[in-house]
Amino acid sequence: MPAPVGSLTMADGHPQTDRERTRAFRQFVEPEIEVMLRVARSLTGNATDAEDLVQESLIRAFRAVDRFDGRYPRAWLLTILRRTHINMHRRRRPDTIDDWAMIRDARPAFGAAEHPSAEDAWIDSTLNPPLADAVAALDPKFRATLILVDVHDLSYADAAAVLGVPVGTVMSRLSRARDRIRRRLGPSALTPGRFA
Amino acid sequence: MKQSLRQMITCHWSARRIQRYLDADPSAPLAPGEVARLEAHLAICDTCAKVAEEHRILHKALSRWSGAVVDDDAAVQRLQSFVDSLVEDEQR
Repeated sequence: MPAPVGSLTMADGHPQTDRERTRAFRQFVEPEIEVMLRVARSLTGNATDAEDLVQESLIRAFRAVDRFDGRYPRAWLLTILRRTHINMHRRRRPDTIDDWAMIRDARPAFGAAEHPSAEDAWIDSTLNPPLADAVAALDPKFRATLILVDVHDLSYADAAAVLGVPVGTVMSRLSRARDRIRRRLGPSALTPGRFA
Repeated sequence: MKQSLRQMITCHWSARRIQRYLDADPSAPLAPGEVARLEAHLAICDTCAKVAEEHRILHKALSRWSGAVVDDDAAVQRLQSFVDSLVEDEQR
């Protein structure tokens, strides 16, 4: 178990004074703003609502920081984000539709490297179109989990916080999503020998 | 016969752990003994090694999509300023 982020300044993991409280809040929040914004875009479907959602979540996090023990700040913040979103948009169903629409319509990220490896070049030129079709064919709850973990690189626990499900459910959905994609792509599509 | 049955059982055992091994997620770590057993099996089993390689390539392909989702630096900056204002209001 990791130590609380602000453990050097807080008794029992909880901030005691106003100064500790504000310092702890900064420590927890500042590294996570970008991922909060990215996940908020997944939840809301547009940039303006996403920013509003993150702002409202930050206010709630600031009010609750006294009760936070400092462990897993990203999961804590993403849980607040999800709950805030549910409260702000009760009629809207959380999903990662916006993410998927952006990914599907955009060209793959080729990165900054001017000379991609043979594997990277093959992924970009050959694998992406059938892979996009395979991801599109997934059940939305499997696709959402796959995108959070494999595209956005969230941990199982963070993805669980976003989706409001247990970690075991994330693992199960992720495993099924990956297996379905592998089956759909076929045995020859992901052959390592292609990169020799 | 006995050997192929043992191999089949080990392949089944490995298949249930390959994704956790590759993800190395702190929520679901494999025990050191499991890692050693899995790595030993992958070294001698072409079928399971191929499955592991497919998962690795699949993850790499998907992770390269992250750049397709446009980061909004200005929004991040505005939210950073919002955090500053929250903290400063508290300190007044």
